[in-house]
Amino acid sequence: METTDLSILFLTLRVAAIATLVILPFGIFAAWVLARRDGAWRTLVETVLSLPLVLPPTAVGLLLLEALRRSGPLGRLLDRMGVEVLFTWKAVIVATAVMSFPLLVRPARTAFEEVDPRLLAMARSLGSGPVSVFRRVALPLAWRGILAGTLLAFSRALGEFGATIMIAGNIPGRTQTMALAIFQRTQIGHDEAALRLVGVTVVIAFAIVWTTELLTRRRTRRTAA
Amino acid sequence: MIELDVSLPLSRFPLRVEARLSSDTVAVLGPSGSGKTSLLETIAGLRPKAAGRVVIHEDVVLDTAAGICLPPEKRRIGYVPQDTCLFPHLDVRDNVRFGMAKAGRAGLFDESVSILEIDPLLDRFPATLSGGERQRVALARAIATEPRLLLLDEPLAAVDPELKGKILPYLLSVRDALEIPFLYVTHNAGEARAVAGEALVLRQGAVVFAGAPDEALRSMSLVDPEARFDNILTGTLGAAHAPGETGSLRVNEARFAVPAEDAARDGNRAVFSVAPDDVLVSTHPLVGISARNVHPGRVISLEISGATAWVRVAAAGLEWTSRLTKSAADELALAPGLEVWIAVKTHGFRRLR
Repeated sequence: METTDLSILFLTLRVAAIATLVILPFGIFAAWVLARRDGAWRTLVETVLSLPLVLPPTAVGLLLLEALRRSGPLGRLLDRMGVEVLFTWKAVIVATAVMSFPLLVRPARTAFEEVDPRLLAMARSLGSGPVSVFRRVALPLAWRGILAGTLLAFSRALGEFGATIMIAGNIPGRTQTMALAIFQRTQIGHDEAALRLVGVTVVIAFAIVWTTELLTRRRTRRTAA
Repeated sequence: MIELDVSLPLSRFPLRVEARLSSDTVAVLGPSGSGKTSLLETIAGLRPKAAGRVVIHEDVVLDTAAGICLPPEKRRIGYVPQDTCLFPHLDVRDNVRFGMAKAGRAGLFDESVSILEIDPLLDRFPATLSGGERQRVALARAIATEPRLLLLDEPLAAVDPELKGKILPYLLSVRDALEIPFLYVTHNAGEARAVAGEALVLRQGAVVFAGAPDEALRSMSLVDPEARFDNILTGTLGAAHAPGETGSLRVNEARFAVPAEDAARDGNRAVFSVAPDDVLVSTHPLVGISARNVHPGRVISLEISGATAWVRVAAAGLEWTSRLTKSAADELALAPGLEVWIAVKTHGFRRLR
């Protein structure tokens, strides 16, 4: 591996890690609320949250671009605060965070739904308030699903392409992640250099999916016992 | 003193309970699906749709007319549900301690562990416990928080018939040692009689009887086809006995032959159960009979329910419930006041603890 390969890998890992950490509290909160509520608006919220999964990533990217441009609703606010997002590493984080969010929420929500509501009621009856019930019962019982969702979100963040290129561009050393670099290298005919990066992504993806499989399989075994 | 005046819509009928319970020990009886569990959950604050008033020893925990509805965590009510609801991710020690952290009081950890005899289980996880052990841990967990009221739901008999009556002796110990008031849901009118000072019989969400447990036995046989009327005896075991002999149980002045293997177990104080089917009734003195426990007595009451006759007999200083066929009761011309003999086989005595 060459030094540019390494720096691309580190940039990708750093950006994906920050994006995952940023969405983690919001994702867990959304999953918990969605798991505990019912009704029409729950379906609406769930649909909106799932849109990044089904929309073309470039479409999401364009929507983000519209929102973040200097004349856009969020862009104006950010501009007043003196924060520049578009076509910087921050834009990569925004794009990957938005695209990964549903992948964190879905498994986490399922895990929270699997927690027996009677256990939560029992904890209340034993003197715990709602926050304490969440911390002492729901979270420890759902952690596998939350971790699986986190790993999924992280791997999605590693490979995000469409939305990223729309709002962050493909600037080597600044916003160029692995996925973007592979694309660029094949465009200019450096197939061998592109394949090196592909090899790295395969190793990382394999490790993540393997871990997720192990986690979910152990959960099924415990449920069966 | 517990004051109940609650209503709660259920799927098949509304729960509507109005009762002033003056005893601290109450048995809640009634057929399956009569609303017993819903009543407990209403008192515990786990049914948000419940309306009305719940007052425990002058503390109002629910009064929807006055806009008072304490959340479950503020009620200080210990609830032991049918399926125990132990926390699967915590060991027994942490389960029992769960409610103590928030209680802000010293709690009754040591007391509950010793009364429920769960010391050897403290490091184990709920998944490895038997049904009876889980029941004891759940009761210990409820007691450890020093509740002002304990709510116990009978374990589901269909899931584990062996559980029947197993928690009862422990409940008797809790009652005697800690004096925590309780409501105990059971199908067993005999248990109600042994443990409670007052009984409440529900049917389709409504109270059909409130009063002395002895009186409840009558309405029970009418409303609950699954009702049981086990005779519960608490006594002292006799001194060590020679091999080949039966054990002996002393209850007040009377002495009973009980299975040796049950008498051999540790503990001087013992609780036994005798099923009403195992109590024979005769109108003549019994001689030449294999049953080791034969006592003269007198019929107190007779209830006919279909082809079954429930006979209450005072004998050996105790009151016994016997289940006969109606034709047998007719043939013997059983009637209150009649002089009779009862006979119970040694193995009719089943040790609960």
